[in-house]
Amino acid sequence: MEFYLPIAEMSINPIGFLILGIIVGTLSGTFGVGGGFLMTPLLIFLGIPPAIAVASEANHIVGSSLSGTIGHLRRKAVDIRMGNVLLAGGILGSFLGIYIFNSLKQVGLVDLLITASYFLFLTAIGIFMLYESLDSLGYFGHKKRSKYYHHSWIMGLPLKIRFRRSGLYISLIPPYIIGFVVGVLSSIMGVGGGFIIIPAMIYILRMPTNVVVGTSLYQIIFITSFVTILHASTNQSVDIILALILLLGGAIGAQIGVRLSGKLNGAWLRIFLSILVLTVGLVMASELIIKPDNVIKIISGSNL
Amino acid sequence: MIKKLLISIFSIFILMGQMPPNIIIDENEKDIRIKPNIAGTEVVLYGAMPSGKKDIIIEVVGPARNISLEEKRRIYGFWLGLGRADYFQVPSYYNIMSSRKLSKIADQSVFDKLRLGVNNLPLGNAKILNTKTSQNIFNKNLKKSMLDKGQFKIGENEIIVKSGPGKVGIFSTEFLLPSNSYQGKYFVRYFIFQNGEFISYAENKIDLKQAGFSRAIWLTATNFPLLYGILAVILSGSLGWLISTIFRRLKIS
Repeated sequence: MEFYLPIAEMSINPIGFLILGIIVGTLSGTFGVGGGFLMTPLLIFLGIPPAIAVASEANHIVGSSLSGTIGHLRRKAVDIRMGNVLLAGGILGSFLGIYIFNSLKQVGLVDLLITASYFLFLTAIGIFMLYESLDSLGYFGHKKRSKYYHHSWIMGLPLKIRFRRSGLYISLIPPYIIGFVVGVLSSIMGVGGGFIIIPAMIYILRMPTNVVVGTSLYQIIFITSFVTILHASTNQSVDIILALILLLGGAIGAQIGVRLSGKLNGAWLRIFLSILVLTVGLVMASELIIKPDNVIKIISGSNL
Repeated sequence: MIKKLLISIFSIFILMGQMPPNIIIDENEKDIRIKPNIAGTEVVLYGAMPSGKKDIIIEVVGPARNISLEEKRRIYGFWLGLGRADYFQVPSYYNIMSSRKLSKIADQSVFDKLRLGVNNLPLGNAKILNTKTSQNIFNKNLKKSMLDKGQFKIGENEIIVKSGPGKVGIFSTEFLLPSNSYQGKYFVRYFIFQNGEFISYAENKIDLKQAGFSRAIWLTATNFPLLYGILAVILSGSLGWLISTIFRRLKIS
């Protein structure tokens, strides 16, 4: 069976992409991450043009994060006020991201932008995760950090408001900036940004861990919606068929992943994930360095 | 259905009681059978031709479109897509079908004279930016990519010729215009060959009025980008919501 992707302008095997959705969904359900940072590179390896992979993946995440947020809302594990502040920063950030994306697209450098950002982020995060998980297994002999303090400079910032669900009374500025950065990344990389925002919430904002995932997912719905609309209206690169196939597979995978996560050892799981992330980062870099099969190829989305 | 058509053609010739001098096809495009489905539009072409040791080639050329190619170049060790060639008026679809292997029907020089075949497709002058690569090289890659994508096709041995009453041969062939096909006129050209020589010609056309599923999505994305973006968000969101509802119900029961 063959399926034609209208925007990517290529025939694909829908079963293959459904399975891809299931695999990435399982990983994201197991580790509690969105999966965008794995899915976009995989789509690129499979021949989807990078610009279309990014925009369609943003569209896919709209559905998967909405699906995830519903569960967290029921458990009252979403700090909506914090989410809104992150979102306000995120919307401004995604405008900047789209602007950079489209300017580089016009001069043929958007593939470089996408692959280079992936390489940098995936290697950095992979190394950090590998270090942390080995550390928690006692390989480096560090003691656990005893107390959580806000950095003094964060406590000194103005415009403080109360985030009741998180039990925090902090300035608007740090979450606004974090949201902004995630907005830029989301539009350039086609990710929700959970892999940046979750550590930032824990280590910089010191939010309680039980509201972190829900709050992150909540703001991701809106950021990726916004990014999808921006990509669709400025460079027509959202392939809705691709997004829906991935969403269907991802939802099944997420259910498998949630069940798996309880049964596996957390630290070893993280080592596995970090190696996976590092590998994807390196393969991504090789896309730029190794001579492509077709030096000359059709750019999709050229208008009639 | 094809049988019925063939019978009706047979009866025409039996009534006429003589062999057709040339190819007889339905000049009226309504008589080409087209059947839209989810994968695209199925097209059946048929007609009568003089029988004997003759070969037929049918060429289908779709409406023109613009196409851009990108050329990657190595700079500081990185492969970057810097070169570009913009084509205007390239056929969005091309299909050449034949009753035998093309190389056995006639020499390439005969096809070149008739401007027949993928290699003779007119691609016009491309606007080449930011590269010294010649248009010839871009042309070659364009044809190769279109063949890979299935938008250009070479269907050797895909025309079936059956002998009819008297000296009439009945030819028929079927192909699929994929669901991403452009709307508009598809010119169909029929060429008859004998002993490596071109002997007669006819043409008609298919008018594809309705966009296929993929093409309709593409058109919405291009003509109503903002609406398309909002729709994409709504669809993804509702599927996400639906999935979470289904899984919650499943857990309870």
